[in-house]
Amino acid sequence: MLVVNHVSKSYGKFEALKDINLEFSNGVYGLLAPNGAGKTTLIKMLTTLIFPSKGEILYNGTNIARLGEKYRELLGYLPQDFGYYKNYSPRQFLSYLGALKGMDKKVVNQRIDELLKLVALEDVATKKMKKFSGGMIQRVGIAQAMLNDPKILILDEPTAGLDPKERVRFRNLLSELARDRIVILSTHIVSDVESIANEIIMIKDKQVLYKGSIDEICKKIEGMVYETSIPYEQATVFKKGVFSLSEKQEDGLLKIRFISKKTPEPTWTAVKPNLEDVFLYVYRDDIQESSAL
Amino acid sequence: MNVWRFELKKAFQSPVVSILIMIFLFFNFWLIYNHAGIREELKVTNQLVERFGYKINAEMSAKLQNYYQSKLQKMNELTRKKFGKTYERAGDFFSEYEYRSEVLSEEELHVITETAIVESYYELIQKIDETYRHLDLSQKAKMDIKMYGLSGKTAEVTREYYNKLNNRLDELIEAREHKNLFFIGYVYRMHSFLFKDLMRQMIFEVMILVVLITGHVTTYEFQNQTHLTTYASKRGRKLMLDKLVANLLASLCISSVILGATLLVYFLVFDYSGLWGIPISSFFNSEFPFPYISWWKMSFGLYLCCVLGMFLLCQLFFAAITFSVSIWIKNSYLVYAAFSILFGLFVLIPGIVPKTSPAIFWTKYTPFSLILNPHLWFIGWNVFFPKNHEWLTVVIWTCLLAIATTVTFLKFNKEQIN
Repeated sequence: MLVVNHVSKSYGKFEALKDINLEFSNGVYGLLAPNGAGKTTLIKMLTTLIFPSKGEILYNGTNIARLGEKYRELLGYLPQDFGYYKNYSPRQFLSYLGALKGMDKKVVNQRIDELLKLVALEDVATKKMKKFSGGMIQRVGIAQAMLNDPKILILDEPTAGLDPKERVRFRNLLSELARDRIVILSTHIVSDVESIANEIIMIKDKQVLYKGSIDEICKKIEGMVYETSIPYEQATVFKKGVFSLSEKQEDGLLKIRFISKKTPEPTWTAVKPNLEDVFLYVYRDDIQESSAL
Repeated sequence: MNVWRFELKKAFQSPVVSILIMIFLFFNFWLIYNHAGIREELKVTNQLVERFGYKINAEMSAKLQNYYQSKLQKMNELTRKKFGKTYERAGDFFSEYEYRSEVLSEEELHVITETAIVESYYELIQKIDETYRHLDLSQKAKMDIKMYGLSGKTAEVTREYYNKLNNRLDELIEAREHKNLFFIGYVYRMHSFLFKDLMRQMIFEVMILVVLITGHVTTYEFQNQTHLTTYASKRGRKLMLDKLVANLLASLCISSVILGATLLVYFLVFDYSGLWGIPISSFFNSEFPFPYISWWKMSFGLYLCCVLGMFLLCQLFFAAITFSVSIWIKNSYLVYAAFSILFGLFVLIPGIVPKTSPAIFWTKYTPFSLILNPHLWFIGWNVFFPKNHEWLTVVIWTCLLAIATTVTFLKFNKEQIN
């Protein structure tokens, strides 16, 4: 079990994360927050790239900094900005990372064959990566993260650059993998985690806001989500009194999904909240800020 | 799997390295080619050594005299036949040489040249004792003190230095180290050519390559944005240890390639076959009025080996310095700039130290100062080339760099990798 125990991280006077407490056992964990919320900081601490300013991270009761190689041996990590060597082929690059992961040469070669097939790159296994598309590079990244068959798989924005078909394949793969390992998937794309995550972790204001199953988190706004159809000319006034989640045209009217704490009107239909509704509601200030930018 | 092998591969995969190696080798071969005109004349030294041995004593001197007389006689027979004239000294012929070269065949000219060289050896042998008798090191101490503007403590150090060198000179004369045949330094300057021109050129060439490679390999992950993946792997930050090993090995490989190829060509062009055992302090190796006096009895072969050893150690130091700088800076271009600044500072500092301060001496105990005069390694030349200068520099810098590397590792182990 991986435990994050009262962890804070500061850079000088700037506090990136404050008193984070989390527990991870086998399964998929969706780390959901907008960009800049501190997901990557938390992930870098989980991968020993940076160290907590306060608190500790324990794996099976021992501090991961003390475990060092023994901990990282169990780790598979795909960083958000996955770098690669342009003049290496996927096979060469994975061989190098296999050596860094302390793997036996024979095992690495066998594993590379399996993984390149799994990520559909077997045809370009010996081609230089400088000619690869973003999606192909991301698949190399996924392959390297899984190279050592890790017990803890940490993926930071793994679906960036993947096409819809690849995304679905990747999600299915993660579901399968998560049966006997911890998979931590950091994303700001709700659909990436909605269908596969056992638990969702939401970070806001440098702290963990929610941690629980999707149903548990959705209950936080149960009874507040509605849908209604209104004429276009009333939309501006209507939206001033509610928090709009989504809008679409339907039969010449504007069908709007929204959150409101007011007493519902007869034309409003209460609907079951989903994870995206919670995400949009929780991070409404951040989203408005980034839209303004 | 050995990680350092992958790191070593990174060192040599850059086309810049291969191109630079080829350019540098071309420069070295060109330098040798430009000097190769004297190779036939140098063969005479080997012939004399083969015939009489290289130790100069009364018996050898008498034999050489006979040999010279017979050579002179043969030469005079030739010149009488060709020009109706004989010479008392073969050297005299060459004062008129340019007007007569067209009349002589190459073989005939060779006979005269060879005689002139044997004559030089014979005449110089007669001057050895006189030359060493007139060496006044206390006078040289006074000249150095005046020339470098030394006073107080530094002047005292200079006098002590020449006392020590004088003792060594007495020991050298006693052991007859100076009385050995070698290429005539006054004429051919082979010591300066090999150990100053060629060796210094190679030191700088390899240093450039070592700094380039070390900066490149050490910052490779940070430059290619793979640092997050690599330093989160099992090997983690210990990858830097593999990089250090790879950098040191790469430095040795580069040194071997440049030194190996250049010296192979050098010794194929210039015949040293009979001269490997001759002391480097031989009178004949002298190129200036003040002879080369090695601090220890060293044959040419041993001297070359020691110089090559120092060469390799200096390159390892440069690799270690660049490695430490790279961990702090993490940008290969800035690393190259930082190394250049360091180099400049270490070379300039001894020049700005007050002449009365002993710091004028110890600020020279750096590999940067050392590589400026490889032809004077292990040789007592002036107060700035003391006995043990090289070994002490090696010991001091091994300790300094061991500390610097350890501190750098500790720093990197605690560093936030973002």
